[in-house]
Amino acid sequence: MATVEERVKMVTAKVLDLDPERIHPEDSFTEDLGAESVQSIELVAMFEEEFGIEMDEDAALSVTTVGGAVDFITAVCKEQGVDVD
Amino acid sequence: MAKHRRHHNLPEVLRPNLLEDIFPHDLPPQIRFDGPVVEYIDGQPVQFDFSSVKNRDIVITDTTFRDGQQSLPPYSVDQMVKIYDLLSRLGGPNGVIRQTEFFLYTKNDRLALDRCRELGHKYPECTGWIRAVKGDFRLVREAGLRETGLLTSCSDYHIFHKLKFRSHKECMDSYCEVVQAAFDAGVRPRCHLEDVTRADIDRFVLPFADRLMEMSEGVPEELSVKIRLCDTMGFGISYPGAELPRSIPKLIYKLNHDCGVPSSRLEWHGHNDFHKVHINGATAWLYGCDALNSTLFGFGERTGNPPLEGAIIEYIALKGGLCGIDTLAITELADYMRSIGLPIPDNYPFAGRAFNVTRAGIHAGGLRQDERIYNIFDTEKLLGRPPRVAITDKSGADGIVHWVNEFFGLKGEERINKIKVHRLARWVIDQYDVEGRLTSISDQELAAKAKEFFPDYWAKYKTNV
Repeated sequence: MATVEERVKMVTAKVLDLDPERIHPEDSFTEDLGAESVQSIELVAMFEEEFGIEMDEDAALSVTTVGGAVDFITAVCKEQGVDVD
Repeated sequence: MAKHRRHHNLPEVLRPNLLEDIFPHDLPPQIRFDGPVVEYIDGQPVQFDFSSVKNRDIVITDTTFRDGQQSLPPYSVDQMVKIYDLLSRLGGPNGVIRQTEFFLYTKNDRLALDRCRELGHKYPECTGWIRAVKGDFRLVREAGLRETGLLTSCSDYHIFHKLKFRSHKECMDSYCEVVQAAFDAGVRPRCHLEDVTRADIDRFVLPFADRLMEMSEGVPEELSVKIRLCDTMGFGISYPGAELPRSIPKLIYKLNHDCGVPSSRLEWHGHNDFHKVHINGATAWLYGCDALNSTLFGFGERTGNPPLEGAIIEYIALKGGLCGIDTLAITELADYMRSIGLPIPDNYPFAGRAFNVTRAGIHAGGLRQDERIYNIFDTEKLLGRPPRVAITDKSGADGIVHWVNEFFGLKGEERINKIKVHRLARWVIDQYDVEGRLTSISDQELAAKAKEFFPDYWAKYKTNV
């Protein structure tokens, strides 16, 4: 089973139309990966779909980096009883 | 300068100061004064206490059927009756809209007047408008009106060049004969001092006003002359320090104080040729003129008159309460005007289709957090018009989510968040980025997409659509 990081990178690559190999944990979604306003919303929506979770809108949108998203999603999955180990 | 600079401490403020006494939101923002205004008149300082307006019987008068019709195709009788009925509701039982005036020259003019009076409303009182011709009083008498406006033009442009009088005296004598005829007919004359902001104030307007006051001394109070100050070309200036004849403060002061025309018998009638029409009207109120003459949506000769609905909102702001006014009638009147083919610009304050519609995503974001951030007052409560967003490529997800929530009428916890509208947001962006669209997206298009992307909400909230 893919790790949370791999799945986050996969979703990010799909939404932003990027090569997953180009995406690193320290990358900022907007500054490094070029996410525009609507793409930020799409990223959150796709993460919810991928992991089967619901995220708080403001908290999710305040996450700025890929690594931050991995941590945030891992925490939400844990809270909502979604197994990602 | 620097030596006298004051230092301003930044105190620790942990709670927002929303100034709700000035911006109550369930009423238009209040207009409050914190001291008198000083105007120099004939070299002497004169104080005006604007706060006294709260206790004065200031009123709105209407000329939608007279000046308002001079710029439009004529209203039908049924249309006039409908508008009159709504005007009465808008002004309320205290008669904030105190009077409205009618032409009396055609059969339809007189029929409209009769049918309006048959409604039995106390306010607005129906008055007439005739030329300064003695024979026209027959029309006023036959119509059973107690008051009529008379055209008494007072600038030399009118006196000498239009009416061809040979002197001020000849002109004044002629006008006064007609005023006497009004008295004789038992009709109160309201002298319309046309073009007063371009008139010879000292050598015609003030002597004429003196004579009108003298004539009024010989008749019962209810017949005494009223004076309407007509800023025919929109030349009036509201600023303190402006000189006559354009100064509204000085003009009103001189008539009020020097000629003794009581405030209750002074009325301001403006035109919008220089974009000053509303503020000039409000200025006239503040400086001592009790009546502000206006038309619905400012329809009137050339650039129009003071907009009546603007005067209504100003009235509430000055008085600090609704005083019986039914502001929802503004929206009904606007809808009715549109339904009979009279256009109101979309961005027109209080009544245009888009007056409280934002296209900026950042404003929509503010609206979503707290309506008060970007809505002038509670427009849903006062006008039946909640704030809306129009969708373009600048709307952002904030604008789109606001539109969706308003469209489905979702409140509180029910409201959808931004994440849930991502497919609609993508469709909107692609309209511009991919399809090359250059126009806003209509509500109808968005509704179709809302049905596609939110079938559950559609089934729950739009089953009757």
